[in-house]
This record gives sequence, C-alpha cells and structure tokens, in this order.
Amino acid sequence: MSNQPTATQIVQPVRTDAYLDTLQMFTGVALILFMWSHMILVASVNLGPGVMNAIANFLEETYLAQTGGPLIALIFLVHFVLAARKIPFRAKEQKMMWEHSVRFNHLDTWLWNVQAITAMIILIMGSVHMWTVLTNLPISAAKSAARVQTGWWLLFYIILLPMIELHVGIGFYRIGVKWGWITRSNRKGLKRFENKLTLVFVTIGLITLFTLYFIINPA
Amino acid sequence: MGRSLKFNIFRYNPEDPASVPHMETFHLEETDAMTLFIALNRIREEQDPSLQFDFMCRAGICGSCAMLINGRPDLACHTKTKGLPEEITLLPLPVFKLIGDLSVDTGTWFRAMNEKVQSWVHTDKVFDPQAPEERMENQLAEEIYELERCVECGCCVAACGKANMRPEFMGAVAFNRIARFMMDPRDQRTGDQYFEVVGNEEGIFGCLGLLGCEDVCPKDIPLQDQLGLLRRKMGWQSVRHLFSKLLPE
Repeated sequence: MSNQPTATQIVQPVRTDAYLDTLQMFTGVALILFMWSHMILVASVNLGPGVMNAIANFLEETYLAQTGGPLIALIFLVHFVLAARKIPFRAKEQKMMWEHSVRFNHLDTWLWNVQAITAMIILIMGSVHMWTVLTNLPISAAKSAARVQTGWWLLFYIILLPMIELHVGIGFYRIGVKWGWITRSNRKGLKRFENKLTLVFVTIGLITLFTLYFIINPA
Repeated sequence: MGRSLKFNIFRYNPEDPASVPHMETFHLEETDAMTLFIALNRIREEQDPSLQFDFMCRAGICGSCAMLINGRPDLACHTKTKGLPEEITLLPLPVFKLIGDLSVDTGTWFRAMNEKVQSWVHTDKVFDPQAPEERMENQLAEEIYELERCVECGCCVAACGKANMRPEFMGAVAFNRIARFMMDPRDQRTGDQYFEVVGNEEGIFGCLGLLGCEDVCPKDIPLQDQLGLLRRKMGWQSVRHLFSKLLPE
C-alpha cells in the first residue's frame, strides 16, 4: 500500500474532522441537558400526578412535546452517528482495546468502555422508549403508570435508567476533559461531583419508577 | 532478609524463527532500595544472559527503559520494587516495534512523529551564530521548558487506548510537541498551518480523552491541560473558518 496521497486527498486543509468533533460535543451537551431536564420533569410525578399532568399539558399546548420530541430523536441519532466514529467496530480493534483495558486497568479507560457499551444499549432501548411515548401523546401520569405496570416495562426502565445516567455522567466528564474545561487542577473534584450527580439522578429515577409502579393509579 | 520476588517476563526474539512468545518466571531476593533496573540486571547477570532490555542513564532522563510494569507503562529505572507486590509482570511497551523480550524500538516511531508534526522552530529569519540569543520573558521560557522536559519514553503512547487501536494516531507526545511550538514566539507558523498538522482524526480530534497519558507520564508533564487547550484552539479555528465562509465580508 502506498503512503502517497491520492488525488481526492489533496484538498488542504481538511476541516471535516474538526466540524464533526465539534458537532459531536454540541449534540452531546444538548442531550445531557435534555436528559437532566427530562428526569426532573418526569420526577414531578412524585409530587402528585396533577403536577406531572400540568407540565405535560403545558408542553403539549405550546407544541413543545410535538416538535421537541422528534427534534431530540434527531439529535439522538446524529449524536450516535458522530460518536460511533470513535467506537471500534472491527473485531481486531475491539480486541486490542479490550486487552489494553484489562492489562492497564485504568479507571478512565474502563469508563470509556462503559460509555461505548451503554451507547449501544441506549440506541436500541432509547429508540423503543421514544417511539412508544411519541406515538402515544399526550403524556400523562396515568398513561406512564399504565405502561410501567404492564408486561416487562418496569424491567425495561430499570435497565435503561442506569445505562442513560452512566452514559450521561461519563459523557459530561469526558466532554469537559476533551475540551479542556476539566483540567489537572480540578479533575479530581469534578469527577467526584459527577459521580454524586449520577447517583442522585439514578436515585430520583428509581423513586419515580417506584411511584409509577406502586402509587399512581393507571385508571 | 528481603522478600522473595517473582518476575514474570515476556520472552520473544523476532529475529529467531524458532522463538515463540511466552512468559518466563525468575525469582530474586529483594535488596534495599532495589529498582527494576537493578533487578533486571541481576537476572541477566545471574540467571539468563540472553534477556533483552534497554537502559542508558538509570536516572529517568533518557527514557529508554519504559516497559509495562504490572500492566502500567513506566520507567524501570525509577520504579522501586518496594512499591510493587511480590509478583511482578513485565511486558514490552505495546504500539512500538518489538526488538526482543522487553526491548522496543521507540526511535523509529518518534522520528516519524517529529517529522509529521514538523518538530522544529519554523522561521524565515536567518540564524546568526555571532548574534546574542533572542530574549524571551522568563515566565514564558519556563512554560516552554515545562513541555520541553519530555524524554520521549513512549509511556503516554503505550497508555493510550486510541494509539493501541489505531497506529496512525499521533498520541499525546505529538500534541505536547505542537503545544510547545505554538507557545514559542520564534515559531512563525500560523494557526492554519498548525491546524493542518493536528486538526484531524489522526490528530487532536481523534483523542478520546481517556487520560492514560496524563496518569502515567513519568515526567509529570501537564498533558491533560495541553490536550484540552489544543482541541479548543483547533475547534475554535475551524468554527471561525466556517463562519467566515458562511458570512463573507
């Protein structure tokens, strides 16, 4: 194989990688902010079904649910395509990364593996969740409770919840590291803060699932 | 009496067709202030003269003796056995070409890297050997020196998941070199010229932010801060370019 550039490569300077990486960061930040807001809004059901219904109605009447939902779905898919550029799909690369992680046993390297694996699970489960919710608007506490209390949906959300929170938490930390906002001097403190934040959101999520399963009447 | 140390050492000679990669075990009694440099030399002198490994300075300056010590890249000469468990596994650095056993060829890789990032001061000023050296603020000189301390041992490259997966990835050492020249007022390269070297997937935009480099650097060079700064500078450069295209004057 020749190392000489081919005719199609002689376009200088190529900025595509920079644009794609910047867009990956922006879509990531947008999804992180969305996921945190989403969790807080859904958790409003813990204050009573009326509170959640009022918020859902507001989003419905202002058309935020109808437009925001598909927009988030689009950002979700774009973020997947952009971030997937970094994930090894060839068996040889996967093997090298895994062997390196086992040998090195370095926390941040392990966290990247967690991010890559949770990404695949979220891609499938997140799509299922979005389809189910967006094809059954408007959102209401009773409908959410009915879903969680039916079939395997409780298990579905018990799996999806930590996947999302891990991915979001690690992603938030990694964006900070990659773009230089998390530096050597504040890394330790911010990492600890991020871990606590992830735990808080998982706890809020579990409490919300408990409320939807045991307390809210689906009728 | 010191501990009895068990060394599991990677053995393979690529030059010998009969050689098969395997781990070999050696036992050694620990002595006071023993480093891996001392331990490996004793093994070679007392147990197996064919054991290959690299050493030069014994003082963490030359960067020759980097290897995987219980999976973690580090310099053998400044690693005391006291800080390690009784069982010690030694592997050659990954990513670099294996010469034999624990010895790898970092030179070829580093030469290629330095050529790729054009690791020298780019200036059209003609050097006058008689003239006094150009003056520079002391603080700036110290900041440049901080990055200049790199001994090119290869630990950051070996600790990098991306470099392990994709050999074309430049690695933290290259970004540190570029950052050093970007600081240097004598280097006349423009932002676009730096962008052309590192503003791509093989360069800074391929970095996964795993911070293996930051956590293993034996010289404690602030790699994390340089990587973040470089990505932001290059990202900003591309966004500015995009806006100038979209909104021409």
